[in-house]
Amino acid sequence: MNTLDLLTPLGALFGLLPEVIITITACIVFLVAGWRGSTPAGSRLAGWISLAGIVLSGVALSYLWLGGFSPSGIAHMVALDPFRYASLGILLIVVGLTIGISLGYMERERLLAPEYYGLILLAAVGMMLLAGAVDFIVLFLGLEVMSVAAYVLVAFDRRSPASAEAGLKYFLIGAFASAFLLYGIALLYGATGTTNIILVGVQLSSGTASLLSALGVGMLLIGFAFKVAAVPFHMWAPDVYDGAPTPVTGLMATGIKAAAFLALIRVLMQGLAPVEALWQPVISTLAILTMVIGNLVALSQRSIKRMLAYSSIAHAGYLLVAVWPGSRLGAAALLMYLLAYGITTLAAFGILAMLGRGGERDVTVDDIAGLASQRPWMAFAMAICMLSLLGFPGTFGFIAKWLVLSSAVFEGQWLLMVVMVLASVVSAGYYLPVIMAMYMRDAEPGVTYSGVTVWGAAAGVVAVAIVGIILLGLWPPDLIDLSMESAAALFQRSMPVAIQ
Amino acid sequence: MLLGPSLALSAVLFGIGVIGVLVRRNAIVIFMCVELMLNAVNLSFVALSQYHGVGGRVMVFFVMTVAAAEAAVGLAIMIAVFRHLESVDLKNINLLHG
Repeated sequence: MNTLDLLTPLGALFGLLPEVIITITACIVFLVAGWRGSTPAGSRLAGWISLAGIVLSGVALSYLWLGGFSPSGIAHMVALDPFRYASLGILLIVVGLTIGISLGYMERERLLAPEYYGLILLAAVGMMLLAGAVDFIVLFLGLEVMSVAAYVLVAFDRRSPASAEAGLKYFLIGAFASAFLLYGIALLYGATGTTNIILVGVQLSSGTASLLSALGVGMLLIGFAFKVAAVPFHMWAPDVYDGAPTPVTGLMATGIKAAAFLALIRVLMQGLAPVEALWQPVISTLAILTMVIGNLVALSQRSIKRMLAYSSIAHAGYLLVAVWPGSRLGAAALLMYLLAYGITTLAAFGILAMLGRGGERDVTVDDIAGLASQRPWMAFAMAICMLSLLGFPGTFGFIAKWLVLSSAVFEGQWLLMVVMVLASVVSAGYYLPVIMAMYMRDAEPGVTYSGVTVWGAAAGVVAVAIVGIILLGLWPPDLIDLSMESAAALFQRSMPVAIQ
Repeated sequence: MLLGPSLALSAVLFGIGVIGVLVRRNAIVIFMCVELMLNAVNLSFVALSQYHGVGGRVMVFFVMTVAAAEAAVGLAIMIAVFRHLESVDLKNINLLHG
């Protein structure tokens, strides 16, 4: 066990090394953008530099993780525990896969500005700070760094009115949600006198819940519910996911959602655990609404991109089930589910990006009829993704869903379990038609899929993701142990010292 | 000093902002209402920091910085929308619908 003093500059630099590396890489990418301009070569160079930055940051992360670094005293701004390391690992994987998908996509769609990769990296820094924050100030700043970069990314396709419109909607709703979150932070600060999440927990456990803290918790939950697109705060999500460039949609459905969930569970378990009677009913109501409505509306979608958007809303419901118990098993299940859902969804969006042109808004289930006979590997990969999202045994998605279910059952929450199982059954109604169209129907006369472009980076990303889904689905014990170990970190209570 | 009235004023301003966002349909007016909400929260932070130390006042500076960054990006997006649709009125913006 090594300790780091986060109050010294060197200690803070070490503790934040993964974030620092990504920030420096983002700066380099912006320099490349100035140097090479909007050319195919410049865009490709920027993409590969960003991937290198992600890998370097991963190396720094494993150095911190394997070294078992922990803070001396309490963590002041950013957590230094295995749960943060696991969170950062998931986020780096998701961002790396997104960049891989983008590499050929941006060239094909003639979106050549290298700044795109810089913005992805800045969003990644925001996600990492959001997921690792133990102080509401850092949490808010991380959220905003992530969101401001994401607003630009959604509106990145300047030639597309749909992209601009999605950007505007996302911006207005995102700023609105941030204001709620901020008001929640202010009220909790008023009730407890601190912005440190751990110290908020200490304060709340020593006194009775006041009106101020109850209002603060409520506002905080509204803000988070908007960010993770939980019903009834989800209305923006399908439109924004639909209008954004496909790799950005993938990043929003996975990375941004994951970061918000990781921050939510840390706030709830480390800060608001003493008042769990306040938030547990809210979380379970949101979970049930999200699972039911997300799945039912997804049934009626024809466009695959919109179907995946609603499916991502439905999955937010499953993730809320893992948040509800506030237990170690729940947190471990959340980590596993985020990883499984993240790589599966990104692989699905990667395949969708290869199938379509011009934002993929018009690729419907009918358009991929007979894909299996023409492009067997692509159809196979898509089928694995759909099965994993459905939670079919033998895939990673099944293991993750199983863990989430057991975390709810362990706490005797049968209602959530029953709704989740039924919702999963309903979800077969929109995942399976994709597979049936690819394998059991013939292509429309004249459709040859000759326009389908496969580029190396995305094919590699999808292949890695598919292998991961199958391998981890067949042999998950090591990963489950690792996530249980990481989740234990959320229960370390610090001594009530040093309250300024 | 004046904690109660300050918090009440802040809550009222926040409420006006929320209602504005929900009722108005012009993107720029909605954005102004969001700014009103953020500044209402700032008022709360300043009032509370009299009792709880400097943390709240630090937060206010960060919130102002963030609001400026958001304004820069948000207004740029509105210009992009205006170039395509000649309007930033949400009732004219319906290419995508839920």
